[in-house]
Amino acid sequence: MITSRNTGVLLALLLILHTAAAQQRRVVDFTGGARSLVTNNNLSVSDTIPDTTTVDRNSGGYALIDLGVNIRPNSTTELMGMFRIRNGYGGFWGAGVTFDVRQLWLKGIIGNVVRYQVGDLNLKQTPFTLYNHHADRFDSLPDVFALQSDIVDYEKFYTGNTWRQQGVNVDFGLTFAKVIKELNFTGYMTRMNATDFISVPDRLLAGFSAVIVQQEGLDVGFHKSTVFNVQGTAAIDESFTNDINSITTQYKFEIHDFSFDLNGEIGNSQYSNSLFPDLAPLEDYFLYGNGKMSWKKKHLSINLGYLNVGPDYRSIGAQSKDIDYAASPNFYNLYTNEQINRPLDLVDVMGNENLYLTSVSDKLMTFNPAINNVTPYGLATFNRLGAFAGASYFHPKGISLTATRYQLREIRGQGTYALKHFTKTDVTARLRLDQWINWEKKVNIHASYSLQTTDRKGITSLENVRLTSNRIQAGAEVELVKNLDLMVGVVHLKATGNEFLAERDDYTTIDFFENIQYNLLQNTNGAGIRYRFDNNTYLSALYQVSRYNDRTKSVPEYTIDQFSLIFNMTF
Amino acid sequence: MKKIFLLIITFAVVLGCRKEESTYDGISINELYSDFMMLQNFSIDKDTVNFGSGENAVFSAVFNKPVNWSIEVTGQLSKAKKILSGQSKRIDASNGTWDGSTTIFPMFKAEACVAQLFIEGVSDTFVVATAIKSIKVNSGLVIADFENGFNSAWTRYVQSGANMDWNIKTDSLCPQGAKYLKMAGTVNWDYLIGLIDFPATAYGGGNTLPLSPNPDNVYFNCLIYGVPNTNESIVLFQFKEDENGDGVYNANTDDQYDYQITVNWEGWKLVSVKYSDIISLNNGQPTTPNGNSIHNPDKIAKISMLDLANPSNGFASCKIDYLIFTPTPLVP
Repeated sequence: MITSRNTGVLLALLLILHTAAAQQRRVVDFTGGARSLVTNNNLSVSDTIPDTTTVDRNSGGYALIDLGVNIRPNSTTELMGMFRIRNGYGGFWGAGVTFDVRQLWLKGIIGNVVRYQVGDLNLKQTPFTLYNHHADRFDSLPDVFALQSDIVDYEKFYTGNTWRQQGVNVDFGLTFAKVIKELNFTGYMTRMNATDFISVPDRLLAGFSAVIVQQEGLDVGFHKSTVFNVQGTAAIDESFTNDINSITTQYKFEIHDFSFDLNGEIGNSQYSNSLFPDLAPLEDYFLYGNGKMSWKKKHLSINLGYLNVGPDYRSIGAQSKDIDYAASPNFYNLYTNEQINRPLDLVDVMGNENLYLTSVSDKLMTFNPAINNVTPYGLATFNRLGAFAGASYFHPKGISLTATRYQLREIRGQGTYALKHFTKTDVTARLRLDQWINWEKKVNIHASYSLQTTDRKGITSLENVRLTSNRIQAGAEVELVKNLDLMVGVVHLKATGNEFLAERDDYTTIDFFENIQYNLLQNTNGAGIRYRFDNNTYLSALYQVSRYNDRTKSVPEYTIDQFSLIFNMTF
Repeated sequence: MKKIFLLIITFAVVLGCRKEESTYDGISINELYSDFMMLQNFSIDKDTVNFGSGENAVFSAVFNKPVNWSIEVTGQLSKAKKILSGQSKRIDASNGTWDGSTTIFPMFKAEACVAQLFIEGVSDTFVVATAIKSIKVNSGLVIADFENGFNSAWTRYVQSGANMDWNIKTDSLCPQGAKYLKMAGTVNWDYLIGLIDFPATAYGGGNTLPLSPNPDNVYFNCLIYGVPNTNESIVLFQFKEDENGDGVYNANTDDQYDYQITVNWEGWKLVSVKYSDIISLNNGQPTTPNGNSIHNPDKIAKISMLDLANPSNGFASCKIDYLIFTPTPLVP
């Protein structure tokens, strides 16, 4: 929708652009992207009574342009405004057209010392303070699925493990002649939600990191992250705080052909909410350590780590999930004659941008045990203790093998004194066949396997838990002729057993345990072609078939066939 | 620096030796998923309850696990119902106290009552009996309960339409006491069907109602019955303040606050509103009052109750009872 506010901002920016362009010393760059996506879908439901209610064919799509203007009016200031014009297919003469400000920020340097940025920020601290773990994202996806996953990353501003926030960020570094080499400081303050002046107060997320580098490869840092309500901004004063303090250290050194990287983090959290006056503040600590040894000569590295995150450890910045399983997929939301909610399938999880969040959530989000029951909140998953290890091998001729293993258990029981034990094993292999056989066209083959288990031998059999989740991915990209790729891939997920899923209130206290039985089979197969105009532009046609089969029969089986045509460009 | 690094490592090793937890989170799964058992029978602490003197009745029961339960008390004469519900392992004074109030009208009378306990997922029901010796007394200023007919100090006007029935009734539908006011008729030339003015002088005090001056501590309540399959009625209350204390309400200089209720439900319903939340209306639209724009419940000189209906709709009907001011929302 074109609003007067958006129009005003656009005019202001164009004015600045004009002024900037008029003066040769000033530099103006254009950046952005364009995308066109057309999909045609077919839903088939296998139910005892044929689904005659849901419309089985569905087509749609959109075209959009992101136009960003990057202006550097002087050597110490840079500002960026990006607008998006989006038109849903079927909308003509303005109907269905939206016009939004996609990003807006200004950054600069004060006195050649302090860097600052205001507006949109990509923020990250440590894995236990502020960090987007992407805990449920599937690594090493075949390109036939990764194209949609990359669109999610672009749409949600996922750059590494950052969260997109709005506020202010400053950082500076000091160098010293003696004792320590340098001190690097970063601070930020962002607004999580705005007040409604009645019951919702302003809620801010703020923090800082101060890292002392004593010598090359040895540093110690102190990190603080806090979420709090600004008192007096709403009629109902709700006091809320979530404080996290942590200390990190890293020590890198080499002995002969081996290089070592030892790093660790310890810290604590405090969580309180005046809406729950009868409940004591939640306080707990965590401990994380990891040692990595690399043998460069043999392209081999191994690591061994320890994880200990208390059951009451709460960190909004690190325990927010990027995927919201409670969100609507906006795509065959309901099915069957009873029009029940359609459970999310693998295509949704891998590439439906409607399910993904841009910034952190102040509620503890639900997770999907079939996909990740071991570390649903990444390394910051509370109530986990144990070890992990990994090994990787990279051959210069295009072979890579990685394996990781987590062996964890609960610290405090859930509804019983008996503890759950978790294992997670991931193995990934990639082969650049063209490099191996010296073929001029690219041939990329990859496969991965993930196994998760959860076990609890209860004091009584009622409390027993045994959940096993297997995920297999395989795929290949073959360059048929120059810049034209054939892509194929398959993702298979099987989850069997049971798990007691905790239902929690807003204070994260457990209200109830639902004993969920799993006998779930999900398959997604895809094939497609892609023509790469250059590294930033492609046109792709994809065909994917996704099947969701809950063999406990709690919901009917369904299959979605999807044909997509994607043009994507960034500049 | 390396010493600091080693110190942190040592500290971390000490922290890593986490003490074994002696508790668990949440409710016991063993209890939650075991078969239901009643560990202490469902009971009530009084055979006869004197709600009128402030007594309460307390239900109790103990189960082997947390359950969703509800207690339905039914008056054997009035058929009034009180429903208590909760999720717990135990019913006691904290969650099973009945103060004589009503959930489904009519209100309880002095009568025998039967209480049934329902538990989700359990087919058995559990029953206890009690009797009400005297009913609950609601403290407040009663404007009208129609038990003694029309007060001679009230001013009543009823249009001369068709099928007019603007009378006090006595029948089994009465929600409180024995009488209520029925307001029904067809007036096809005007919204107004009838009205009653309740002047403050009818309530024994002076020219204004004896209410608290704090509008946040004054609630106006009434019981309204929506007649099934009948055109909507609109009940409009006008609260007219005498702000300058000259003994009369002046429409040009004093505040009038209006509370309009569209009767779009069926059966009896309690309507409660805080006096400070009532606004001024002009033809149904919010407007600024003509006085000091301050809610002064202690300066209400007159309340007008208008029974309205869209004239193009035809016959409209509703019933009303128990107009009462209370310091908190009425729990009938």
